[in-house]
Amino acid sequence: MIRKLRTPAVLALALALAGASYGAEEPPVPAGPALTPEELSGAVKIDALTIPTPGEVLAAIDKLGKPDWASAIRPPISTNYSSRAQMAINIGGLVADGYIAVEAASPQQVKNIGRDIVTLARPLGVGQDIINRGKSLVEFADDGRWDTLKEEFEATQNEVKTSMRENKDSELITLVTLGGWIRATQAMANYVAAHYTEDAAKLLRQPGIVHFLNERLAALPEKVRDDNAVRKARAGLATMEKAISFPAATPPSKEAVQNLDDLATKLLKDLAVKKQ
Amino acid sequence: MKTLLLSLAGALLASTTLQAVSNDEVAARKVAYEIAGAFTNEGFKMRDGCWSGKIELKKAQIIQVNLYAGNQYWFSLGATGAAKKLSVSIYDETGKPLAFEPFTDEGKAAAGFAPAASGSYYIKVEELEGAPATFCLLYSYK
Repeated sequence: MIRKLRTPAVLALALALAGASYGAEEPPVPAGPALTPEELSGAVKIDALTIPTPGEVLAAIDKLGKPDWASAIRPPISTNYSSRAQMAINIGGLVADGYIAVEAASPQQVKNIGRDIVTLARPLGVGQDIINRGKSLVEFADDGRWDTLKEEFEATQNEVKTSMRENKDSELITLVTLGGWIRATQAMANYVAAHYTEDAAKLLRQPGIVHFLNERLAALPEKVRDDNAVRKARAGLATMEKAISFPAATPPSKEAVQNLDDLATKLLKDLAVKKQ
Repeated sequence: MKTLLLSLAGALLASTTLQAVSNDEVAARKVAYEIAGAFTNEGFKMRDGCWSGKIELKKAQIIQVNLYAGNQYWFSLGATGAAKKLSVSIYDETGKPLAFEPFTDEGKAAAGFAPAASGSYYIKVEELEGAPATFCLLYSYK
């Protein structure tokens, strides 16, 4: 069962002019064969599309009510780590913080977070592009361009990842994704625990994401896997996996959601501790 | 609209310079951006990432995505000129085909979907008519 999407007016007009078929009143009944087990197991999984952005997680929370996003902002974290892996994980967490600051419509928080991302990314050898993104974040925050800022935070994260790839630090990319997902999931668990309903709790179900992240983390070079922050993250992820891998029709209890919030909150704090 | 076009141009330029993508990938991405741009006017946020590759007649390609219940999604597929007819379809985590809102035009296609449950879904892209081409799939959400 899907809900009807409203046909975007501009596209509908453009397509009508082009004589294209579009905008049926009701979605057609699905036809064609199911995917085979081989097709399912052989499906492509890429960081850029398989993992949702923190913005998608927050968009789902927004539909549950009127979250007090200002109260979800966490205290500043250290921006001075000796471990490159720990820097990468916390850059991801900060990007998710950026989305939360945008939801809270807090220009100062956006600017602080943008500055912290640049500070954390600089030792990783990122280029002028990231520094320019930081400047853009400040400008957009001053102008209150909140919608643009959401895209700017994802673009900033992607440029950090591109720099990592160019600097032969590709193994750090998964860690940026991991940090962002943990922070966004913590925000969701925190909201659902405080405003529990079974439907809200069902949102937390994402075994595919944990499976993807676990696969990528297991494939990291040994020296990265041995990093204290990475070890903590993997252990934390294993614990979180149990909490978000429930059957689709069986939502977790309020206590289980609170437990997930506690786990994710503690993990974020541990990962941000300066001395690992 | 001008801002949108500028940001799309910027994104294309950034992608081109930073990821050293081929000219065909840039062209396919431009088509996908054109479709997704229309959804932006309806409040959909466009993902910065794109899945690009080669596509051949009747040789479907599949990607796993992880979606959140309550959100609405549009998956936009663009391809280079050799691809005449494309399709995008959506399956649940067991591989069962799902209903979605379709759009097709020459060299482009899209699928609109609002999942009832959070979790993994599979997006299948196919070339139904034409010659081997380069494609780009991206998605938007709100």
